[in-house]
Amino acid sequence: MLTIRKDDLRTIVDHCNTGYPDEACGILAGQDGRVEKVYCMKNARPGPVSYEMDPEEQFTVMKDIRQAGRVMVGVFHSHPGGHAYPSGVDVEKAYWPGTQLPNYPEAVYVIVSLMDRANPVVKGYAIDAGAVQEVALSVV
Amino acid sequence: MAIKVRIPTPLQKFTNGKAEVECSAKNVTELVDVLEKDYPGMKERLSEGGKIRRFINIYVNDEDIRFVNKEETTLKDGDNISIVPAIAGGR
Repeated sequence: MLTIRKDDLRTIVDHCNTGYPDEACGILAGQDGRVEKVYCMKNARPGPVSYEMDPEEQFTVMKDIRQAGRVMVGVFHSHPGGHAYPSGVDVEKAYWPGTQLPNYPEAVYVIVSLMDRANPVVKGYAIDAGAVQEVALSVV
Repeated sequence: MAIKVRIPTPLQKFTNGKAEVECSAKNVTELVDVLEKDYPGMKERLSEGGKIRRFINIYVNDEDIRFVNKEETTLKDGDNISIVPAIAGGR
């Protein structure tokens, strides 16, 4: 389970709406499955069906997370015209190239579907060992 | 003083679970070879045809090697190397 505050969830959805119709992305930092800080990131390959975090920004944020004594508990991105479920590319890119070793095994992959913009759907998943499993999001 | 290399989680299975290793190398190409010698399997994971794989970013201290001298980026004792998988996807 990933626990997230209402305000943080709003920050995520707002960032995804700002990026619309392109995909938007970000990093969730915290501890013990609890989100404590949302980093809204730049999409370095903007498009309605693709995202890639800006490497420099990602490096800086990951350092900030370590220095704050936190870990990366999640990664989020939007599907402007798709369901809140990891695509084949999402799954492929979650692994080290050419392997089934997850790049960030501790991270929950949060996906925001904006198919119905008035009613965004937000879901979390664990991507590990070739399997995708839904992780409950607890909004507090 | 050696070069410190921060190992990302998926590659720690090659370093016996170590999150940081030390070694000596003159540049990034040599670093990959030294890591392969000490921890077999690393080279194939890090590079393809002598080039660092796409979606893998390597930093020397705070500099992305792509903006320095790529695989020929010079290293010296005391440098901190980070190997960071990109976060990407798409529908």
